[in-house]
Amino acid sequence: MSKAIIDIEHLVKRYEMGDEEVYALRDVSLTIGDNEYVAIMGPSGSGKSTLMNILGCLDTPTSGKYLFNGANVAEMDDDDLASIRNREIGFVFQTFNLLPRATSLKNVELPLVYAGVSAEERTRRASEALARVQLADRMSHKPNELSGGQRQRVAIARAIVTAPCIILADEPTGNLDTKTGQDIMSLFSDLWKAGNTVILVTHEEDVAQHARRIIRLRDGKIESDTQNHHA
Amino acid sequence: MNVFESILLALDAVRSQKLRSGLTLLSIGIGVFGIISATSIMGAFQLAVNGQLADLGENSLLIQRTPSINFGTNWAKMRRRKNITYQQAKEFRDRVSTTSLIAISNTAPGYIIKAGQESSNPDVSLIGIDDLYTVVNAVSISSGRSITEAEVNTSRPVAIIGQDIVTALFPNIDPIGQLITIKSQKFVVIGVLQPKGGVLGQSQDNRVLIPITVFNKYYTWEWDASVDIAVKALNKQMLPVTLDESTGIMRSLRSVKPWQENNFEIDTNDALTGQFSGFTTALLVVAWISGLGALVAAGIGIMNMMLVSVKERTREIGVRKALGARKRWIVRQFLIESIALCQLGGLTGMIGGIAISWGITMLLRSFNMPTITYVFPTGTVVFSVVICTLIGIGFGLYPAWRAANLDPIEALRYE
Repeated sequence: MSKAIIDIEHLVKRYEMGDEEVYALRDVSLTIGDNEYVAIMGPSGSGKSTLMNILGCLDTPTSGKYLFNGANVAEMDDDDLASIRNREIGFVFQTFNLLPRATSLKNVELPLVYAGVSAEERTRRASEALARVQLADRMSHKPNELSGGQRQRVAIARAIVTAPCIILADEPTGNLDTKTGQDIMSLFSDLWKAGNTVILVTHEEDVAQHARRIIRLRDGKIESDTQNHHA
Repeated sequence: MNVFESILLALDAVRSQKLRSGLTLLSIGIGVFGIISATSIMGAFQLAVNGQLADLGENSLLIQRTPSINFGTNWAKMRRRKNITYQQAKEFRDRVSTTSLIAISNTAPGYIIKAGQESSNPDVSLIGIDDLYTVVNAVSISSGRSITEAEVNTSRPVAIIGQDIVTALFPNIDPIGQLITIKSQKFVVIGVLQPKGGVLGQSQDNRVLIPITVFNKYYTWEWDASVDIAVKALNKQMLPVTLDESTGIMRSLRSVKPWQENNFEIDTNDALTGQFSGFTTALLVVAWISGLGALVAAGIGIMNMMLVSVKERTREIGVRKALGARKRWIVRQFLIESIALCQLGGLTGMIGGIAISWGITMLLRSFNMPTITYVFPTGTVVFSVVICTLIGIGFGLYPAWRAANLDPIEALRYE
């Protein structure tokens, strides 16, 4: 197995809701290596969103160990987490989450702004990323001038522009029709074939089938973790 | 983060909430407007007064029927005061023993001076003087000579003209010995005043001096026949003594009973400056307090606007955080936005304040205060920019802090 990018051991996430304690994750252990294509599945309430938030360094676990590229995320402060999110993780959301007033190019440039990349370099790299998702001709369009599929591709360009370790996609086809959804999924496959590590979070079986490995969660635990030979 | 982008976001916030942001910006504008207009109008007055006082000199007294500059004085009472006649002034001059430097003069504005086909501007000040006027008021003659006692006593038609008149009437020839006409009376030019320049555009060279006896004959009416008396004490130490003596003599000449107050004005440089600055200071304090009050109210408005803006853009903040924006960058973005809003309001107030105070200055100038000049309130403009920045930071900090501390997960989920 290739070098581990994500190494989780005995991860627990507990919320306090009033007097009650709710366990979103109970003792989850998992390793994801370089250039894997993983789908995390589970019904709502299974803890998959919590796991994704922790994997994406948006949240920290209550207990357990999370090594990202060997660094212990559980011990990081807000700024370190922001920096990991910026450089090492590319997010793709169900609702795209583009800035409505900014052009495609500006949206894709945004992570580079936070990374402190010079304006010239930003434009160059953002144009490249947009070209990779076949949107070279939509650079100066604003989100409301683009179709849903095009918006999601802008979001994917934004996710890959910093050349992150992992691409973390949360229900990326949830707001798209089937045909467009398939286009987006084949784009993820292309990114994986080009050497990226892709982690999908979904509750849709046919979306998950694009991945090479499927992890199923139920009630905060890993129910199964299997290689997918159909894809 | 890009400053320019934040400013654009601020303008966007203004556009999307026209009424609310309009009112908030207006209150900042009013605050800045109050401060700017009060400061610059007072500045203009101060300059006008200082200009007059500079003529007077620090060892001198000025005796007039009514105060030359006054605010809140009882005009009815002032109007009832009898003129200081030339005769009365001469008697005063003869009786004063502590100094002999006493000059009697009277001024009338708005004359046209003509020579042949040429004529001057229609706003020349005509001053009737005696032989001591140039000495007491430290007026220098650059060529020719001053008016003599004999010329005053025998009402000779002679004149000393200012540089502006020379330029208008005698651009190429020596004015000494030339004839000028002032309202059908002819005068021989015997001297030219040393160019003094203007106090910020108000020319001191736009005047003609003639013997007061001639002035009294042709250029006064009953309502402005009252003369001014300038008294120069021998030195600073003698000034109070001369002041007491002058007051006593004037009271006796004008039959003021011991229990009555003076029916004339007698002022030293210090007294005039003191009276005036007391008044302006009080007015400035009021203007500043109400201006700052409006600014604080506006600050609260800005805070409210920013809180709404943070709430409306919760999701955007979540996205920015997910993409790696650190807390301090989010804080900075919102602070820039709130400062930009404050500056926008401040700019409106500044333009309004400058326009209004310029207008008022020009109005006063065209009516009864010819020496007033507009003063651009550079210091206050700088102060306004600084205070708007401080308000933007002070009242924007909490909303910005709220934005920066949003939980990215919650923020991304926000609808």
